Amino acid sequence: MIDAIRTTAAAALLMTLLLAGAARADGDAARGEARFQDCAACHRLEAGANNVGPSLHGIFSRKAGELADFRYSPAIKRSGITWTPETLDKFITDPQAVVPANRMPYAGMVDASDRADLIEYLSKASR
Amino acid sequence: MTTQLKEVDVVIVGLGWTGGILSKELTEAGLKVVALERGAPRSSENDYSLPNIRDELRYVVRHDLMQNTARDTITVRNNPRQEALPMRRLGSFLPGEVVGGSGVHWSGHTWRWTDMEFKVRSNYEERYGKQFIPDDMTIQDWGITCAELEPYYDKFEYTAAVSGKAGNIGGQILSGGNPFEASRARDYPLPPLTPILASEMFNGAARNAGYHPFPRPSANASQPYTNPDGSKFGGCQYCGYCQRFGCEANAKGSPHMTVIPIAMRNPNFELRTHSWVTKVLKDSDGKRVTGVSYTNVLNGEEFEQPATIVLLCAYAINNVHLMLLSGIGAPYDPVAQKGVIGKNYCYQTGAAATLFFEGKYFNPFMNAGGSNTTIDDFNTNWAFDRAPHDFVGGYNVSGGFNTPLPIGYRPVPSGTPQWGSEWKRATAKWYQTAMVINASGSVMANRFNCYDLDPTYRNAFGQPLMRMTFDYQNNEHKMGRHAAEVINDIAKSMNPTRLNPASARTDPWTVVPYQSTHNTGGTIMGTNPRDSALNKYLQSWDCHNLFVVGANVFPHNSSYNPTGPVGALAYWTADAIKNRYVKNPGPLVQA
Repeated sequence: MIDAIRTTAAAALLMTLLLAGAARADGDAARGEARFQDCAACHRLEAGANNVGPSLHGIFSRKAGELADFRYSPAIKRSGITWTPETLDKFITDPQAVVPANRMPYAGMVDASDRADLIEYLSKASR
Repeated sequence: MTTQLKEVDVVIVGLGWTGGILSKELTEAGLKVVALERGAPRSSENDYSLPNIRDELRYVVRHDLMQNTARDTITVRNNPRQEALPMRRLGSFLPGEVVGGSGVHWSGHTWRWTDMEFKVRSNYEERYGKQFIPDDMTIQDWGITCAELEPYYDKFEYTAAVSGKAGNIGGQILSGGNPFEASRARDYPLPPLTPILASEMFNGAARNAGYHPFPRPSANASQPYTNPDGSKFGGCQYCGYCQRFGCEANAKGSPHMTVIPIAMRNPNFELRTHSWVTKVLKDSDGKRVTGVSYTNVLNGEEFEQPATIVLLCAYAINNVHLMLLSGIGAPYDPVAQKGVIGKNYCYQTGAAATLFFEGKYFNPFMNAGGSNTTIDDFNTNWAFDRAPHDFVGGYNVSGGFNTPLPIGYRPVPSGTPQWGSEWKRATAKWYQTAMVINASGSVMANRFNCYDLDPTYRNAFGQPLMRMTFDYQNNEHKMGRHAAEVINDIAKSMNPTRLNPASARTDPWTVVPYQSTHNTGGTIMGTNPRDSALNKYLQSWDCHNLFVVGANVFPHNSSYNPTGPVGALAYWTADAIKNRYVKNPGPLVQA
């Protein structure tokens, strides 16, 4: 029964991700800065500036759960994700579906172009 | 052995909303400020993040963010004929005791109190005659107007990220907002929260009955927000853990993530936590205060902190307690009706119905602190004629939820056994199907409802406990019956499968269960030193360099939550101090 639920959930997730499509490469960084307001109450961009969430400085190329001085959830540490525009796009679409039991209190950003804008902004601002 | 410290410009006792606002404003004005907070330092990142914050046992049952009654509490009685006994466990109200104070665990409901309160005696005497107000009802005008406070209400709403819908901008009544509110200069900073099923059903029923429902204004950010000071808010996630918890998403306007960190970055500011102020010190002729005595509760060390200005910004009850312990102002005597410190303690009343709808799913685990639709038709609506019902004051009615706790909230139809297999079956059956309609009612001042020092019981510092004498009067019983009738009429019109009807609170008040953390009065503001402790700038009539800020300044209690005027008055007092008092120290109002 539980396996059946898991399979259904995984299928639903796959559909969501397929419908959402791959990360789009045509994001607008200026619009993305406004989208970052969704994140800014908990995440900062400066190196070492952990808040409620970990610093996003240098996020791309980092492994999930890698910063030594932030208390991550076991779920994020186990996730095996390496952050790329594609994996981040999938994650922020529906964080609890991608990494169940992660501790980020955020329901998700459903609009693909919003996510593309945000990722474009982050790819510059997190450097 | 008491350590004498170096004098500072300002010492602030208590670091919640009022202490935080004044710390930020006065350090920015160049004053050296020391804040003394008896609780622990707490932050969103270390303390309120997931998963630890969702701990009902720790935060609700064990009161992790609240005052510890083993160290200090109050004694309670209903009337002067009784012997007061110590409240050994928190219940009816929950004073916060951490950096951020009760501003961490509040729900966020933010109201603008109007001239209906500020001119309460004048209004009722003018409309109904002097005889309408009972002899023992010691209500009085506040000495301030809603128009004076408007810019400060605005400032607080924009600081705390209040979500709502204006009902009256510049005199123009706007549909969907509260048509009875006082005129405001502009809308709330954020649109209303997403309605939930319970609030939408109440909205429809109230509208059908001819009332004027609107979304309750609440400092739960309906979307990500940056306030005018640059503090960042996340959008509310409707997690269901609001009242009694810190916010995991930085979406609830709280001092620990707005004004306090701004003050902390200012080199003029110093915070000392675990610092328990035991006394305000006076000079030899008693005309000025000179600082405070405090104890480090971690090691018992005692200090004297001299200051040019002293601000009492602790919880409302504790501000009054400090005034009585320090012998500032004449203690109130309810028999002779002389003196002012301790006068006009007020609380709130209410009535509530639970409606059960078979087949509906209300998802009570998923909502914001302010997920309610409200009607003000029996509150700020002055066209509602009180004469036939013979009461002073009013009540607002809401449909929705206010943190129905996942474990503690167990709605079952009346008649269900309170434990056992029958109760288990009922709670499983009805949990998802229930919604609440709730009235919150004002309490008018009464000459016998007051504070003084207890003659018998003492706290951990050997000081007399505060004694609270309080009970609901006939006025509140009559209003409660009216409210229950209105609620039950609305509830029946919605055709619930089962209804636990509302009834008025007419039994004597007790310290259990939880009712409301809206304790007001004790050091009230007013127009003259004969019947008030403070002038309209919350400045002591007795010692001009002492200001007392909080709901303890309210001369009576309305049906609204107090934090709107508490925040506005803190900004108002900050302006009076930095723009007027420091340039020309002395009474800001001549007695």
